[in-house]
Amino acid sequence: MPKLARWTTTTRTAAAVAAALLAAAAAAAASPAAQRGSTITGAGSTFVAPLVAQWIPAVASAYGYELQYSAIGSGGGISAVTNRTVDFGASDAPLSRDQFAACKGCLQIPWALSATAIFYNLPGVTKLLHMDGPTLAKIFMGRITKWNDPAIRRLNRHVALPSTAIAVAHRSDNSGTTYNLTDYLSSVSPAWRSRYGKGVAVNWPVGTGGQGSRGVAAIVTQTTGAIGYADVAYAKSNHLRFFAIKNRLGRYTTPGLRGIRAAALSDVKPARGTNELSIVNPPKKYTVAYPISTYTYVVVPRQSGKAAALKKLIFWAVTKGQAYGPKLLFAPLPKSVLVVDEKAIAKIHS
Amino acid sequence: MAAADPTSGAIRRPLAGRRLRLGDVSLQALAGAAAAAATFLVVLIAYKIVRGADPALARYGLDFVARASWDPVKNVYGAGSFLFGTAITSLFALAIAAPLALAIALFLTELAPRVLRGPVTALVETLAAIPSVVIGLWGILVLGPILHDHVQPALHGALGFIPLFGAPSGTGAGIFTAIVVLTIMILPIVSSISRELFLGVPAELKEGALALGATRWEMVRGVVFPYARGGIAAAMILGVGRAVGEAIAVTQVIGGGVFVHWNLFSTGDTLASKIASSYIGAQNDIQIASLVYLALILLVFSLLMNVGAQWIVRRVARRQGVGLNRGGLG
Repeated sequence: MPKLARWTTTTRTAAAVAAALLAAAAAAAASPAAQRGSTITGAGSTFVAPLVAQWIPAVASAYGYELQYSAIGSGGGISAVTNRTVDFGASDAPLSRDQFAACKGCLQIPWALSATAIFYNLPGVTKLLHMDGPTLAKIFMGRITKWNDPAIRRLNRHVALPSTAIAVAHRSDNSGTTYNLTDYLSSVSPAWRSRYGKGVAVNWPVGTGGQGSRGVAAIVTQTTGAIGYADVAYAKSNHLRFFAIKNRLGRYTTPGLRGIRAAALSDVKPARGTNELSIVNPPKKYTVAYPISTYTYVVVPRQSGKAAALKKLIFWAVTKGQAYGPKLLFAPLPKSVLVVDEKAIAKIHS
Repeated sequence: MAAADPTSGAIRRPLAGRRLRLGDVSLQALAGAAAAAATFLVVLIAYKIVRGADPALARYGLDFVARASWDPVKNVYGAGSFLFGTAITSLFALAIAAPLALAIALFLTELAPRVLRGPVTALVETLAAIPSVVIGLWGILVLGPILHDHVQPALHGALGFIPLFGAPSGTGAGIFTAIVVLTIMILPIVSSISRELFLGVPAELKEGALALGATRWEMVRGVVFPYARGGIAAAMILGVGRAVGEAIAVTQVIGGGVFVHWNLFSTGDTLASKIASSYIGAQNDIQIASLVYLALILLVFSLLMNVGAQWIVRRVARRQGVGLNRGGLG
């Protein structure tokens, strides 16, 4: 019997401890809800993540909002806002028709502007390498497999290229950066367009998939002769060498602010309803345009419990927030886009 | 149940009291509820998966299973290449892991000096405790480059005439890397179950064999292996089940791609890795349904494996007239 009694006491103590823990957990879970109005959560694009990271302290000091952003990839951001687990999603690829339908009254607002860099790992080659669209498409199709292929040599007469094999690296997850690249490849190569097309994921004929920009960069840095792609801010901050890409005029341009801004001028009218913009491979008259540039979007539900805060946040992002961009190679939004954005922001309501 | 009733009765009698009977009732209710909840959960998951896959089932039917294509732009989906990838990675992983695991188990039960047995057993079992995402990271950062720079060229050079050892892939990622990672993951499972099985072989049988003049190897072959056969088979099926379902580590190292070919050094995808890499942010409803269809195939596959393992264990147990319930499946 004493044994049994002790057992019971122990159980009671354990139960009391468990109850206390539960209460503590409940209190911890409840506390963010108390200051709910001031916390805004977002998820999505890795592309825009460095810029959003700059915005977080600025938004906190301007409005007192606590902005939380998880860079889980554009696809993940769209899923998250569709399920309303976050207040906004961020995507570099415009939503598909099915995604708009699933998102039930979501608005897509272009809020930043940058470019995709095509980087490579070729030790011993220190000069800036040149590349053009058709050759790049052939590389990603697996038709050009060596660095000293005549097509690449023709673009780089001044460089001694090795016979190293080309290893293509691409994103294995659904990615807005992939959309930007395949949008470009589709516009420069009819063969690419008819076989693989454009999308956040395509049926890659060759290459190795990596998870996120980090996965692609890891493959490229580990593999001699590899080619990969990521947003230019990522490529720069990780010291990856990237190509100068030939634009329609025939000029070789790098993904710098000048090239991105010039490309942005080629499409300044967001599409009705979707606010979609495509600025890849712009016409000749944009003489210094970098041809793999892209807008990136914030996706918000029209009706939101935090409508007032979201409106303020997004308006701030497309206006004052743009000033944080250039350092990270995000070009400021053109005025005409800003006008459309303001109209879209006005549609958010509680 | 027949075994449980007299036991509980034996406890109840000497300590008859209202509180304890209440305890019994609540124990039964709680345990019953837990069992019911687990069953309900399995049925619910199966129902949700079938329902989620319904649009793809209706559109593609059973053709989906064999078709080797996955094009999210043109919306053409099929499981063929992923089934192939799943089969080739898990079967090769088992083929490498099984002999190693049996050797480890034999060493630990029959051959190792006593002082070594404890620590080595603990270490081998620690291998099972490493999270798969960690093994995956190690696979992409350490193992992949080593295989790519040294192992693949050597194998291709020596055995290149066999289609399995074709031209090395451009990067360290690929089916071969996935096989090695899976081997490491299933090795501790198979070896620790086998070790338990070998420990369960009655000492008199082993001593009898030795007394008849058998060598150690003859004793192992003639007594230990036959005695544990059913359990070993079940352990292997359990290992394959682990390999088939592993998503994270495989996604990290396999490289992706919709290919059906025998070159182990090239990239590919498995059912689980495709679901893991593509589900988030899928572009349209038919793609989501197709991914759920892949999950359905995976579920059916795992179910068949489990049933198969249980069937083998029962059959062997019946034939030997011993309760070989050590296979871990019961």
